[in-house]
Amino acid sequence: MSTETLSASSLSEKRRVSALGDGTLARVAKYTAVRLVTLFITVVIGVYLTILIANMGGYVDTIMRNEIKYEAAQAVLANPVSRNLPPEVREKLIRERIALEEKRLGLDQPFFIRSLRYLRNALTLNLGYAIFMNSDSGSRQVRLILLERLPATLLLTGTSELILFFSSVFLALSLSRKYGSFWDKLTIALSPTSSAPPWFYGIFFILIFAAVLKVLPFGGIVDVPPPRNPIDYGLSVLKHLILPASSVIVSSFFLSIYNWRTYFLIYSSEDYVEMARAKGLPSRDIERRYILRPTLPTIVTNFALLVISLWTGFTITETVFLWPGLGRTLYQAIGLYDTPVIVGSTIIYAYLLAITVFLLDFIYALIDPRVKIGGESPQ
Amino acid sequence: MLKTRLFQLLAFLVVLSLVLAACAPQATPTPEATQPPVVETQPPGETEAPPEPTPTPEPTPTPRTTRRGGWLDEVVFTVVDRESAIQQIQAGAIDLYSFGLASNKLSDIKNSGLKYVSSYSGYYDILFNPAVFKDENVLNPFSNRKIREAMNWLIDRDYINQEIYGGGSLPKYLPITTQLVDYTNLVDVARKLEAYYAYNPEKAKEVITAEMQALGATLNAEGKWEYKGKPVTLIFIIRNDGDGTRLPLGDYVANQLESIGFTVDRQYKKSSEAAPIWIQSDPKDGLWHLYTAGWLSAGLTRDEKGIFQEMYLPSSPQGLPVFLANQPDPEFQEVGDALAEGKFTTLEERRELFAKALELALQDSLQVWVIDQQQYMPMKETIEVTYDIASGIEAPFMPPYNLRIAGQEGGRVKIGTNDLFTDPWNPIGGSNWVWDGFVQRFTQSYGFMPDPFTGLQWPLRAEKAEVTVQAGLPVQKNLDWVTLNTAETIQVPEDAWVDWDAANQKFITAKEKFPDGLTAKVKSVVYYPADLYKTVKWHDGSQFSIADVLMGIIMSFDPAKPESAIYDESQVPSFESFISAFRGVKIVSTDPLVIETYTDNFFSDAELNVSSWWPYYPYGEASWAAIAIGNLAEAAGELAYSPDKSTQKEVEQTNFVGGPSLEILKKYLEQAISEQIIPYAPTLGEYLTAEEAVARYQNLKAWFEARGHFWVGTGPYYLDSVGLTEKTAVVKHNPDFPDLADRWAAFKEPKLAEATLDGPAQVKIGQEATFELTVTLKNGDPYRTADIKEVKFLIYNDKGETLYVGQGQPGEGEGVFTLTIPADVTATLSAGAGKIEAAVVPIPVARPAFASLEYVVIP
Repeated sequence: MSTETLSASSLSEKRRVSALGDGTLARVAKYTAVRLVTLFITVVIGVYLTILIANMGGYVDTIMRNEIKYEAAQAVLANPVSRNLPPEVREKLIRERIALEEKRLGLDQPFFIRSLRYLRNALTLNLGYAIFMNSDSGSRQVRLILLERLPATLLLTGTSELILFFSSVFLALSLSRKYGSFWDKLTIALSPTSSAPPWFYGIFFILIFAAVLKVLPFGGIVDVPPPRNPIDYGLSVLKHLILPASSVIVSSFFLSIYNWRTYFLIYSSEDYVEMARAKGLPSRDIERRYILRPTLPTIVTNFALLVISLWTGFTITETVFLWPGLGRTLYQAIGLYDTPVIVGSTIIYAYLLAITVFLLDFIYALIDPRVKIGGESPQ
Repeated sequence: MLKTRLFQLLAFLVVLSLVLAACAPQATPTPEATQPPVVETQPPGETEAPPEPTPTPEPTPTPRTTRRGGWLDEVVFTVVDRESAIQQIQAGAIDLYSFGLASNKLSDIKNSGLKYVSSYSGYYDILFNPAVFKDENVLNPFSNRKIREAMNWLIDRDYINQEIYGGGSLPKYLPITTQLVDYTNLVDVARKLEAYYAYNPEKAKEVITAEMQALGATLNAEGKWEYKGKPVTLIFIIRNDGDGTRLPLGDYVANQLESIGFTVDRQYKKSSEAAPIWIQSDPKDGLWHLYTAGWLSAGLTRDEKGIFQEMYLPSSPQGLPVFLANQPDPEFQEVGDALAEGKFTTLEERRELFAKALELALQDSLQVWVIDQQQYMPMKETIEVTYDIASGIEAPFMPPYNLRIAGQEGGRVKIGTNDLFTDPWNPIGGSNWVWDGFVQRFTQSYGFMPDPFTGLQWPLRAEKAEVTVQAGLPVQKNLDWVTLNTAETIQVPEDAWVDWDAANQKFITAKEKFPDGLTAKVKSVVYYPADLYKTVKWHDGSQFSIADVLMGIIMSFDPAKPESAIYDESQVPSFESFISAFRGVKIVSTDPLVIETYTDNFFSDAELNVSSWWPYYPYGEASWAAIAIGNLAEAAGELAYSPDKSTQKEVEQTNFVGGPSLEILKKYLEQAISEQIIPYAPTLGEYLTAEEAVARYQNLKAWFEARGHFWVGTGPYYLDSVGLTEKTAVVKHNPDFPDLADRWAAFKEPKLAEATLDGPAQVKIGQEATFELTVTLKNGDPYRTADIKEVKFLIYNDKGETLYVGQGQPGEGEGVFTLTIPADVTATLSAGAGKIEAAVVPIPVARPAFASLEYVVIP
């Protein structure tokens, strides 16, 4: 009887668990589907808006047509041989150049049609060919234009942002336990230094370390001519990395610590932390279990967003240091109205962001027991 | 509490110091910057280094070295931000910045104590909308020619040069380039016009007031112009991008216009915003009145006869609405068109037309010219480099041949420039950027070497030439290496090649295409030396051959032929312009190489009428083997030379130095070797065997395996390595180059003349007056009289008006001239102040020298 009861009970429990499991699976699946569709629609809207903005709603066609007209005339008139041709031949030459260039740029098609083609190509990650820009190796493929610049970008942004992030979090955690100390006050006092952007420090660093002290290079990614030995090459790159990376780190260092320290302070004054302290728990345990753990979702979110932001580079800092990164590429593309490059860069960022946001929902559930996928908000 | 305040104070001070530092006008000078400048009072266009005497501009002085090829062992190119170029030279990071710095950087360069050279970079002007607007209630004052002309008097070009361009540019009054070839030839006319249109705001106001009233405008109580009860508001499109100088220039002109009663709507725009307004809009719509226009310098052009039509007339080939809207004086239209179409038979007739056109151009003033901007290229004191007086260091052909460290053979020079590898490198449709071309020119040689000081050319690989022109064409000879003849008729030989049959890969002869015969206006014969094929080697070790020349001739036609496997429609317009004047080419002899060319296109200098047919393609020199594999890849649809075809076909643009192209080219090189391909075999097969072809391919393959690229030339340096992402290039010394390093030493520096004028302090009315002009080189040595084409002088009255133009006569001693004002001329002077100005026209350099002297005219 008891066995039967137990068996029945066990079966019932299994059914309940199974039902619960089915329910959870269905809930997660539904949530996933809805979330994916929502994110995809967001990406579509975002990318199409980028296309519209990058082309000023089609007005860029007018700009391009005028520039083509002007440049075609100048090119023909600047050529000594063309200058010597009869005027009607020169005029014909200019007209033909204009027609060819308009055709090459696709200006013989309405902007709306082209915008839809840009969108389709972007969503299918068919990044296609740039209009004006070349990759460093001379290719017009947007994929190569972006990929060839990616290593340099990741080197600069990765090095500087990761050092900045981890050093800020750990120093802030430490400072949050020493509220009012000398170092705490020093950090607060120096936090306004972050009002200046990285390139501002970059110019100073160049003046001090390159122009005056002559110990570090003015810019670029490697010595000129580049060393042939891979080890020397790597060391040369590291030497060139020092100033731009330092500029990024220094410009945000104190403010970043200050932000995290303030954030940790809020959690440090919670009742349960006070209780733990009163119980005499070691401060390392208090930090790890009582402060760091509840703040983990925020830290993870920040870290995840930081990782995808590495993709964007630092436009002006890269320009100041002539660092061959994606920031400069994107800036150049915007200046040239090179829509495929702008869209290519945007779509990759958009997809990375969407994926990150999507994954973060699951990560929250894993690291914070109060969060349930597809369920109600934690009370 | 105290600590907190101290920290707050500290933080405040840090931020304040950063902000103040950021607002500082310029970087703190390094210790070198405190050294005094070498020379501070030089006019633009001159190097600051003490020159070495260069007796004549002969290209073959006595050899002073046994070194062949370039002077240096290695030249390294890197990209440098122009803002830090001066500091980088001072810090030793680079030796030379070859891309020009704007003239507003001149004082920084001088303060740094660095050596520098200068050249033209472009010119700025105020372009007027000449249309009468559709809206009859809106007045466009600039539809009136006299108001446009008066704007010349309203603008103080010297002030603009000093205040905006750091005193480093040239005030510009005329459409032709100030102080270059045509200006120099017409120097008396030019100076007369410049004196007449000198800054005179009172005169400007007087003329404009009269004309505005005639147009029906009135000045209101506040001194502002009104038309039909509304203020006359001028829409001024002021460019705020580029080098930034058009912004203060526009503001200055706007201020001047406001000072005489106009209301100015200043619209600051960048190029892309301004273009739809001034280029595209119908001038009659009245969307703009004035625009701060800018135009690129065409380099050291010797013939600017088309400039009037291009820049003023409705017949302008630019075809922009603003030119179509202009209604010039019929005489100006006739003279401008006649010049552009070459409707003159003698140089004297051309000169008269030019003089008239200049006068009428100023009266029309669709554009009021403001400044011929100069650019400056700083370098270490030890660097010596030839520069072109019109286009600087990067664009001309000669600088790579003469770049060196003073007094040293070998060594390394690091050059900073604006960018590198902006577009793919290939000889047919590759990078046209000046910085890419600069690196390429280190690796190349040519049939002729352009003279950087006169725009003429000298033989480099060629030896001599004969030019025959149709009788009545205004062509002159300047240098001894060319012979000039005239003929009543120039018949094209029946066996000359006049076109290309792309389907059968054979040339079409004159007899086949023109059975009734064909004539040409110009025939040139170029002679190459007997040892050409022995002495000239490609960098991959291959000997130069006739096939290299023939490939160049074939490629002038083939890409533009629809039947060709490498047809590219973007090549058609330039081909059509070529074929419209081309009348034939004939290889008279393959060894020694002699080539005849027939054309209807002619230049007024015999030296510029010779075609070399050297395998120097539009974007670089190349061996036939390199072109052959590029053609194979293009024919297979895997690569395209031109950006147009590359975009259209969605394939990679051919790149001989990097990227995905290299693997494709390598594949076709292997195919060419295995299949023993002779390109264009029906034609080249007569000059090339399969074994010779394979040997050339093998050399190219070995080169590619060693260097990693296909860029092969015959120049004094070879391309050793490239860093495409790092933006670096390294070229190294080519010891196999046939010429000694000092072959072009005579062109190290332009023989710019300096003139001083001496004479009486008083000139008596009715009595002859004599002045003495001394012409020297910059170092003070006398300028050879034989090197001076002419000396002209102008006599001005106290109002600055030109009263007389005279000719100086050679005096005693080299470079000394006597200028005599005849008694009948002094008889016309009135008592008071007077001025004489002399203009020296040297032969070795297309830049005049001026000197003036003031005197008192007494009864």
